Formats: sequence, structure tokens, C-alpha cells
Amino acid sequence: MNPVIRWFHLLGSPPYFDRFAARWAPWCYLAGVLLMAVGTWQALFVVPADYQQGDSARILYIHVPSAWMSLAVYALMAVYAGVALVWRIKLCEILAMACAPIGAAFTAITLATGSIWGKPMWGTWWDWDPRLTTELILLFLYLGVIGLYHAGDDRRASARAAGLLAIVGVALLPVIRYSVEWWDSLHQGQTVRVFGQSSLDPSMAAPLWWMVVGTKFWFAGSLLARARADNLRREAGRDWVRKLAEEGA
Amino acid sequence: MTYLPYVIGAYAVFAVVLLWDFLAPRLQLRRELRAARLRAARARKPAATAGELSR
Repeated sequence: MNPVIRWFHLLGSPPYFDRFAARWAPWCYLAGVLLMAVGTWQALFVVPADYQQGDSARILYIHVPSAWMSLAVYALMAVYAGVALVWRIKLCEILAMACAPIGAAFTAITLATGSIWGKPMWGTWWDWDPRLTTELILLFLYLGVIGLYHAGDDRRASARAAGLLAIVGVALLPVIRYSVEWWDSLHQGQTVRVFGQSSLDPSMAAPLWWMVVGTKFWFAGSLLARARADNLRREAGRDWVRKLAEEGA
Repeated sequence: MTYLPYVIGAYAVFAVVLLWDFLAPRLQLRRELRAARLRAARARKPAATAGELSR
């Protein structure tokens, strides 16, 4: 068998996944922290202040990566949920459900930092603007997925219901992405483009990319740690969990 | 630095939420392992309990 396919099959085994997650989560966290530390230092002390917004524009370096993560994590959660629904792979269910609190955290950061940035720039903490409102709905969707997953006693049935909600909610992602173009919005248009001309001056771009990559590593660490904890809960009573608990005692 | 309280506030929110995101799964993991240890301890006990009851 192809070694990559064999590895994927192995990863579906709960004890193997536990060892894998225990081994790699700390490294992902560490890489995430280091990358974000460099990004934060550059964002606060190296890049120049914006000519219009002054130093408040430094909030961009946490707001934008978090906003991107809020969308990317949701998309990934829906993919895992889809795979779990079609092929009934338990690990995909676990991973989909582990995505939800991390995505909710990044969405909460996006909303809070946007609000803090909005106060000095727009003169208000909140406005029912299309971008802000759709991002708030995204937070509610994440909370709905988390709530549904924890609502029932049967974990697998709850995960299927929550996964279905995650898949349906994907329709919101393009609405969030294009809300600033489809409607008159207080929120500014797209500043940073991965492909094409970005309106962010190149002298201010470096910390953003450190933060973007750093948040990805952080997410990987958090996903592995959360999935590992859920995997242990589902496997409670199994021999390998007992041995693991006794080894750690 | 202009707008300093806003910048500090935003970065503080970011740090606090990520700290929660780091601690929550660790605490959950600790709970699960502790529950597994207790289950294992309970599973070893019943033989003695059954013996006491039969006396």
C-alpha cells in the first residue's frame, strides 16, 4: 500500500491519533507563538504608523489574520463534517467538532478587535453594517454547532446534526467575503490581496504575513489538542486510555 | 503612540482569547485522564466489595 494512504488509515485509529496529536500539538503551538511574537513585535515597534489612522492601524495585524481564520476554519469544519457524514469517519467528526470552538474564538477576536478599532475611526463601537452583521451571524453559527454537539447524549448523532448545520452554514462565507462589495458598507473594502495588487504599502505588509502563518500553526496545535481530548472522551473505558492514564499518573 | 489604549486593548483581547484557547483543551485532557484513572481504580475495587457483601 502507498505509505501516505497507509498513514491516513493509521491516523483513523484512535490510539495512533492520540500519539500523533500528543507529539505534534506542542510543536505547532510553539511555532505559532514564535511566529506571532515576531509579527507582534514588528506590528507594534517596526512598521510605521498609518498616515491617516495613526497607530490604531496596528490593530489590523491581529484583526485581519483572525478574520481570515474565522472563515478558513469554518470552511475546513464543513469539509470535515462532509467527509464524516458521507464516509462515517469518526476522526473527521472529532476534527470537525474541534474546529468549532477555535473558529468561534477567532471570530470573537475579529468582532472585538474590529469594535475596538471602530471606536476611534468610526466613532462607534458597533454598527449594523453588512460585514459586521454577517461576521456576527458566523459567530452564532459556530455557537450553534458547539451547542448542538453538546446537546445530546449520543455523541455521534449530535456530531452528525452539528455537522449538517456546519455544511449548511457554508453559504454564509461568500456573503461575508463579498458583503463590502455587494452593499454600501461602513467597513472598508479589501485592503490585502493574496493574489493581485494590494493597497497595503509593502513597508507595512511583513508583520501581517508573520501573523497569518503564525495563526495557522496555532490553529493546527489547538485542533490537535482539542481533537485529542475529545478522542479520549469518546474512547473512555478502552484499555489503551486506561494504560495512558496510568502511565501519566 | 496615538490611540494607545485602543491598541493595547485589542492586543490584550487577542492574547486573552488565545490563552483560553490554549488552556481549555489542556484542562479537558486532564479531566479525561483523571476520569480514566478513577474508572480503572473502580474497576479494580468491585471484587473486594463483592466479597465484603457476601460475608
